[in-house]
Amino acid sequence: MTGRPTVLLVDDEEAITAALAPFLERSGFEVRVAEDGQAALETLDLWHADVVVSDVMMPRVDGRELVRRLRTRDDWTPVVLLTQVGESFERSAALDEGADDYLNKPFNPQELAARIRAVLRRRAPGGEKPLSTAERLVSGDLVVDRSARRVFLAGSEVVLTPRASVLLDYLMAHPGELHTRDRLLQALWGFDLVPSTRAVDHRVAEIRRVLRDDAGAPRFVETVPNLGYRFCGQVRRG
Amino acid sequence: MTGSVHRGARGRAGSPWASPWVIVPVAVGLVVAAVLVAAGNPSGLRFTVPLATAVAAAGVGAGIVALLVLLLRRAVRRAGEVGAASARQEEKAAHHRFLARLDHELKNPLTAIHAAAASVSSTSLADGSGPGSPGSTGAVHLSPVAVIDAQAARMGRLVGDLRKISSLDSQEIEQEPVDVADLTAEVVAALHEELAVTRPARAGTVPGALSDVSVAFPRVPWPLPPVRGDVDLLFVALYNIVSNAVKFSADGAPIEVRGFEEEGAVVVEVADSGAGIPADELSLVWDELARGSNTLGVPGSGLGLATVHAIVRRHGGQAMLTSRLGHGTSVRLRLPTAQPG
Repeated sequence: MTGRPTVLLVDDEEAITAALAPFLERSGFEVRVAEDGQAALETLDLWHADVVVSDVMMPRVDGRELVRRLRTRDDWTPVVLLTQVGESFERSAALDEGADDYLNKPFNPQELAARIRAVLRRRAPGGEKPLSTAERLVSGDLVVDRSARRVFLAGSEVVLTPRASVLLDYLMAHPGELHTRDRLLQALWGFDLVPSTRAVDHRVAEIRRVLRDDAGAPRFVETVPNLGYRFCGQVRRG
Repeated sequence: MTGSVHRGARGRAGSPWASPWVIVPVAVGLVVAAVLVAAGNPSGLRFTVPLATAVAAAGVGAGIVALLVLLLRRAVRRAGEVGAASARQEEKAAHHRFLARLDHELKNPLTAIHAAAASVSSTSLADGSGPGSPGSTGAVHLSPVAVIDAQAARMGRLVGDLRKISSLDSQEIEQEPVDVADLTAEVVAALHEELAVTRPARAGTVPGALSDVSVAFPRVPWPLPPVRGDVDLLFVALYNIVSNAVKFSADGAPIEVRGFEEEGAVVVEVADSGAGIPADELSLVWDELARGSNTLGVPGSGLGLATVHAIVRRHGGQAMLTSRLGHGTSVRLRLPTAQPG
C-alpha cells in the first residue's frame, strides 16, 4: 500500500488509458486500468478503488451499466463518467443514475485530476451513499424532489425554469463546494457556445428570487467573490 | 443584394374551382342554354333531350373534365414538392449524422492527445523545464507540447461546436418568455465588458469603447411583446450578430440596433457601415465554416452566423442578411412572439 488514493480507470481506448494512467500516477494517484465495465467489476472484486473513472460507450458492460451494477450491489464508490454526449439533459441523466461527476470528452487531464480530488474530498465517510444518489435533497425548509424535478419551499411548490432547476440540483448535490462559473456553464448548459458566464449569474438570481434567498445573508446559494458559487446550507437526504 | 434563410411558404396555387378552364365552359354552356330557352328552338328540329339542357350539360361536363385535369396536375406537382422537401430533409439528416460521427470519432483521439501532452509536460515540469519558458525577448515561447495541446483543444472545440449547431435542431430547448429589448441591452453590455479587456485602447477612442452603438426599441405606444424561447441561446444569437458588426466596423463607426413588431413577430435589426460582404458570397453566409474572402486577418471560426441561423430556426424564426461591399451589412432576426397563455 502506498497510501495514495486509488483510481480505477476504465476505457476501451488504449491510446487514452496509456496516456492518462501515467499522468494520473504523476498527479499523485495509484492507478489501475480496466478495458471495459465487465473487467472493471472483476478488478473491483479483488481491489479497492477510492474512485472509478469510466468511459460511457464500451463493449460488454458500458459506463452507465457499470454504475448501475455497482449501486445494485450496494457499492457506493464514487464514479466519474467520461461522457461522449454533448447535451446537458443527457448529462443530468448520468447524474440521476448515480454517477458522482462527469466530464465531456475531450477534456483537459488537469481538470480530471481536479474532479477526482473534489470527489475524494466530498466522499461520504464509511462508504455511505453520496448525496448525488439521493431521490430527495433537503436543506432547512427547502426540498428538491429530484426524480420528479419539483422544488418545495416551506411546504409549497415553487416553479423554476428547467435550467435553474438543474443548477439548484447540482449545487445542492455538491454542498460546500466551490463551483466556478465556467465549470457550471460547461457542466450544465452543455454548450460552450455561450460567450459569457452571465447565463449562470441569471439563473442564480432566479433561484434566489424564487427561494427568497438574500444574497447578502444567503441560506442556500452563496456567491464566492470573483470565483463562483457554493451551496452554503446543510444538505441531507430526504 | 440579399442572402436570406427565409423559408416562406411557397406561393399557393389558386383553387382549381376558380380556374378559367373550369369556369369558362360551364358559363358558356349555361349562357347558351339560357339563350336557347329564351329564344325557343330556332331550328325547328326535334330532340329527345331539350337542346338547352344538352348544351348546359355539355358545358358542365367540359368544366368537370377541366377540373379533373387541373386536380390531377396539382396532385402531381404536390408530389414533386413533397419529394423535394423530403430529399432536403434527408440531406439535412445525413449532414447531422455525419457531424455527430465526426465528433464522436475525433473525441477519443483528441482526449488521448490531451492526456499524452499532459503526461509529457508533467514530466518536463518535474525536470524543471516547464511547458512554456521565457525567451530572451521576455515573451513566453510555447513548447511544442503546449502547441500540440492547444491545437488539440482548438480542434475539439471546432468539431464540438459543429456538432452542437447541428444538434440544435433536435435538442430540447427552454420555452420561456424573453424580453428582447432587455436581452439586447445585456448583449451590448457584455460586449462592452469584453472589449474593455480584449481591445487595446486606440488613439481617439475610449479604451474598450464599442463603435458608436445606438440601440432603439419602442416604448410607445407599447413596448415589444416577449418572444418565447431559450434566453441563453437567444443571447448567443444576438451576441454573434452585434459582435460581428463591431468586428467588421472601424472604431467609432456607427452601428444601429433596432427592434420592432411585425405581424406576430419581433424583429431585431443590427446594421453597420462596415466592410460588407461580396455579392457572390451572400448566399453562403449562413453555412458552417463559411468565411468571407475579405475577412482574412480577422479572427473567427466561420461558425458565428451558422450558429445564429440554427438558433433562430429552432425558435421558428428567420434570419435575413443584406449587405453591400464597402457600405455595410444589415442582419435581421425575426422571432415569433409568445402566444398568451
